[in-house]
Amino acid sequence: MHSSSAGHASKPKVGSSQPSEASFKRKRGVFQKDLQHMMYGFGDDPNPLPETVALVEDIVVEYVMDLVHKAQDIASKRGKLLTEDFLFLIRKDMPKLHRCTELISMHEELKVARRAFEVDEEKLATTE
Amino acid sequence: MKRSKDPFEAAYGERESTPESPIPPEEAGTPAPNAEEENISQPPSVPSTSRAAPRKTKEEEEEEEEENMDVELSKISSADPDKMAKMQAILSQFTEEQMSRYESFRRSGFQKANMKKLLASITGSPKISVPMTFVVSGIAKMFVGELVETARIVMTERKESGPIRPCHIREAYRRLKLEGKVPKRSVPRLFR
Repeated sequence: MHSSSAGHASKPKVGSSQPSEASFKRKRGVFQKDLQHMMYGFGDDPNPLPETVALVEDIVVEYVMDLVHKAQDIASKRGKLLTEDFLFLIRKDMPKLHRCTELISMHEELKVARRAFEVDEEKLATTE
Repeated sequence: MKRSKDPFEAAYGERESTPESPIPPEEAGTPAPNAEEENISQPPSVPSTSRAAPRKTKEEEEEEEEENMDVELSKISSADPDKMAKMQAILSQFTEEQMSRYESFRRSGFQKANMKKLLASITGSPKISVPMTFVVSGIAKMFVGELVETARIVMTERKESGPIRPCHIREAYRRLKLEGKVPKRSVPRLFR
């Protein structure tokens, strides 16, 4: 029986044995609220069980950690950790890859729009 | 809000930018009912008019709230009017429960700040680029989706109903591992 939840609850700091995380105090329920909404959106009950949410949080954090470690391994050959490393990791997973490229392009669009807006504001200020 | 009358346009606009916009995460804090009231009280108006509005107000939106909003909607409409029409057709047929679920699905996301903290602690470097935050948040959200959906499949196989229990999640996780969707640790986790 997984005692990971219990283990984490009693150990407020250092959630794992990896040295790079030594400084991280792993608090419980960091993503709890977000996860509840998310799980409902994906098909769970409107009020998911707290133990389920805690377990999903553990799994997600572990997933992100593994993902980042792998990305770092890839990036170490080049130097800095870049977003492209994550994209490389999920290249086999079509839905995720598309979603990420969509998010990135949206971000770019927003950046451009914001810049255009700022220019307009400047013009307004100068004309006034 | 001047943004749009159509419930999902609001949902569209608010959500989509999962990790990058600070607004949805804050709103996710407020219980779904509030958002629902605001959306459902406004009758689903004719798609064409409300869709035209977002495109024009895109710049105005930027004034009020830095991020996104209807950018997403206008992006979808400008990119593929066909898809837009299909979505509208489907969405108009949603029951209230489906609607609220869809809204939760679109609006939910990991808090940018929390994700940044987590990433910073894992990578060891305090500076995390913004794109990285929302890319990882997006990936994580989809992973949660896979978990929950697989857990539901497990439940139907076992002919159980009700809220998802941890045993379902564990079984779902095991299956995802077999499918190779979970990155494998090269070093086994010794102390949890």
